[in-house]
Amino acid sequence: MHEMSLVQGLFEQLKSLAAENNATRIVKVTMEIGPLCGVVVDSFQFGFEILSAQEPMFKETELVIEVPEVTYTCTSCSQEQVTAGERPDQCGNCGEFLLTTRGGDDLLLKQVEME
Amino acid sequence: MCDSCGCPSPSDNHDHSHDHDGHSHSHAHNHEHGHDHNHSHDTATKTVDVRTSLFAANNAMAQANRDHFDQIGAVALNLISSPGSGKTTLLEHTIMALKDEMKIGVIEGDPETDRDAQRIRAKGVPVVQLTTGGACHLDAAMTHKGFHLLEKEPGYAGVDLLFIENVGNLVCPATFALGEHERIVLVSVPEGPDKPAKYPKTFGTAQTFLITKTDLLPYFDFPLEEARSEALKANPSLKIMELSATTGAGFDAWLDYLRDLVRTKKGEKAA
Repeated sequence: MHEMSLVQGLFEQLKSLAAENNATRIVKVTMEIGPLCGVVVDSFQFGFEILSAQEPMFKETELVIEVPEVTYTCTSCSQEQVTAGERPDQCGNCGEFLLTTRGGDDLLLKQVEME
Repeated sequence: MCDSCGCPSPSDNHDHSHDHDGHSHSHAHNHEHGHDHNHSHDTATKTVDVRTSLFAANNAMAQANRDHFDQIGAVALNLISSPGSGKTTLLEHTIMALKDEMKIGVIEGDPETDRDAQRIRAKGVPVVQLTTGGACHLDAAMTHKGFHLLEKEPGYAGVDLLFIENVGNLVCPATFALGEHERIVLVSVPEGPDKPAKYPKTFGTAQTFLITKTDLLPYFDFPLEEARSEALKANPSLKIMELSATTGAGFDAWLDYLRDLVRTKKGEKAA
């Protein structure tokens, strides 16, 4: 459950943002969770719900999660395949098994709406 | 600048908690008096585009750790595996084989107890036990704190090779850089050859894959070739080694790999 500690870090950042902008409540948070970033979306949501219930600033805060795609590139012929995250068994062009990945490995705080 | 050691901090303009209790989050210094202004705000909403990574703070601290290790010419290795795959046993044997050639230090991470540190201390090298209080991984701030504690250990006289034994867990540690130069993932023969396919993030971010307890191969269904090819699918550039701490099989290659890392680091520092 490292998601919980990531949500704690997020809340510290949101509190700073609120203070900078003279806001007292976070209305909506948009996150981008890469399918390869090692964070389980359900666990992140669960951690967000548990921790947000404990602070007035996060009362009824809406959490929006976007999941970016991942590009797999063949190490032999450089053919690219874009998926929702799952690794293709092999290159669709030449059948090579070894593929490198690009994207989908970060956890981003994209946008915050506050009042 | 880090107050306790003078080593570079990732940022000088916000508060760090690394001197306190090893938590990774930084405390925003300006939120606690927010209630002073409650009367003046209106209800207009404001939208701010942020686009910052939640890993950014940890990654910056990890880079500061790595810079510090580079500065002192030390190789730092992050050992990741399930509980019971043989990390501590591997370290015990490795220390006995190498401690006369190089200065070794160990940072041990566990949810509770200092049993691993006691085992390492018995081999005669400086060691620090970090207990995470139940947390499932080490992070860069804990590592920073751990290294400073290591420097204060009796018998510490610098370090050429620093082992950071992560909390036994094949999932969560993969997300947190510590400042290591290489990340080593271990799978023991009884765990089965399907681990690389099941834990692609861990294998994808590692440089080296170590298959341990190979003396048990006759008793378990563990096709080495399958484990190797699954691991390469998760990470085409992975180095793969097999060994048994019990029989010593494969140990020479492992020790040579460590010697090479240390030699290369010393060369970089001299250059």
